[in-house]
Amino acid sequence: MPARPIADSAPDIASADFTDLVRRYQSMVFSIAHHFLTDVPAAEELAQDVFLQLHATLSTLKSEEHVKFWLRKVTAHRCIDYQRRRKLPQVSFDEAPEPMSPSQSSDPLVARRLQQFVASLPEKPRLVVILRYQEDMMPEDIAAVLAMPVATVKSHLQRSLALLRDKVTRTMGEVTI
Amino acid sequence: MSTAIRKLVPLILLLAFPAILRAQDLKLPPGIEKLASKAKETVEVNMDGPMLHWASKFLSAEDPEERKAAKLVANLKGIYVRSYEFSDEGAYTAADVEAVRAQFRSPEWSRVVGVRSERDGDNVDVFFKLENEKIAGIVIISAEAKELTFVNIIGPLEVDQLADLGGEFGIPKLKTKPPSSKPMAKADKGEQK
Amino acid sequence: MTEMNKNPKPLEEALRNALRREDAPEGFALKVLAHAQQQNAAQEARRTSWLSIFSQPPLRWAAVAAVTICLVVGSIYYRNIQRQRAEGEAAKQQLMLALRIAGTKLQLAKEKVNEINTSRPESQPQNRSPRSRS
Repeated sequence: MPARPIADSAPDIASADFTDLVRRYQSMVFSIAHHFLTDVPAAEELAQDVFLQLHATLSTLKSEEHVKFWLRKVTAHRCIDYQRRRKLPQVSFDEAPEPMSPSQSSDPLVARRLQQFVASLPEKPRLVVILRYQEDMMPEDIAAVLAMPVATVKSHLQRSLALLRDKVTRTMGEVTI
Repeated sequence: MSTAIRKLVPLILLLAFPAILRAQDLKLPPGIEKLASKAKETVEVNMDGPMLHWASKFLSAEDPEERKAAKLVANLKGIYVRSYEFSDEGAYTAADVEAVRAQFRSPEWSRVVGVRSERDGDNVDVFFKLENEKIAGIVIISAEAKELTFVNIIGPLEVDQLADLGGEFGIPKLKTKPPSSKPMAKADKGEQK
Repeated sequence: MTEMNKNPKPLEEALRNALRREDAPEGFALKVLAHAQQQNAAQEARRTSWLSIFSQPPLRWAAVAAVTICLVVGSIYYRNIQRQRAEGEAAKQQLMLALRIAGTKLQLAKEKVNEINTSRPESQPQNRSPRSRS
């Protein structure tokens, strides 16, 4: 489906587009924030701010793809700023709260543990992992969103996976997925 | 250093202006440059021709001292000063100072004053650079027990201009003659420690 | 060793599963749209107050604009002049300082020479005129 320029829309459609965009991407934005911050009210507030910022800059965005890229980028950067500003502590895997929606995995314990492990990663690797596995983005796209070299993204991924694997082994032992 | 100067400049490390060091006659070895970290007071002035010209615009014609200064610096190409004051004696070595003096043992430079005082340890050297019977530069090296100063003024200065300095800024009237390679005064106690 | 360790794929699959998108809290979209409407209203109010300026007689508006521009440009110019003056004064002080230091050291040289001359009054090499030296 070809990209539809948002800026070409008539004013009424633009406002309808915004509503449409909120409905379409609220899950994406909220999930990135929640998987990063592990704090539901903080994630909700952050996601709201992202959409309000989108509302203010909507006329500058050219297409649906652009909007998606913009949302991911702004959400990612706001996550880091939010954490630093509010001095939210890095979550240890014991403290991370229960996920909002029940895991689809046949083993919800594994899913919950993994969310906790991810939340314990440092900021940038955490975002890389979230964008990779929540949004299924390729390293090149992640690099563009986070404004970092592709090699750095790949390095973060590799190390994070190794770390997560190690944590899984140490805490869960024999687990069959 | 005189009280007047100490009052004017309590603790100063004036920033060097870029690309200036090449223009000056005086090349300070690394051993001397490092003295700034040991000194309790350091004065560093680096003013090349354009900077002197610009600074002289702010000299007041109503102030006699500044008026004379304006006349003096009108043709100067540079003034460079490094002055270090120390809390204790022995902060620098004779070898360091000698390395600087050695730069001026060349035909174009004449040592007009070379004083070594064993009584108080003060050594002062004044060198003139002569070009076409005019003074093209002056270097003053003053090595005192707790103070080390290097001054380089790049001319041209007329001989009578130099004489005019007498009485201004505390500069003594030096008796000058048409340039000669012979020194005006020299201690007979030997130059070097 | 877990399955995840033997083969990396299961770990990645598990991560995809654990990190799948969640629903935003109930009422999230409505809250955002409500805030966005407030944003619109605030922007409209600002635009209206700006627009009222344009409803003034054009000449008056032009005069206000001209005065404002002059004030801004003037203050920038004045600040530049002040800064240059301060820099010039600083350079002048450096110059005077350098000349004073030079003067002091020449004075010191003169004093030392005088000391030597007065301490060795007769039959000393430095008392002879330079011409008589060989």
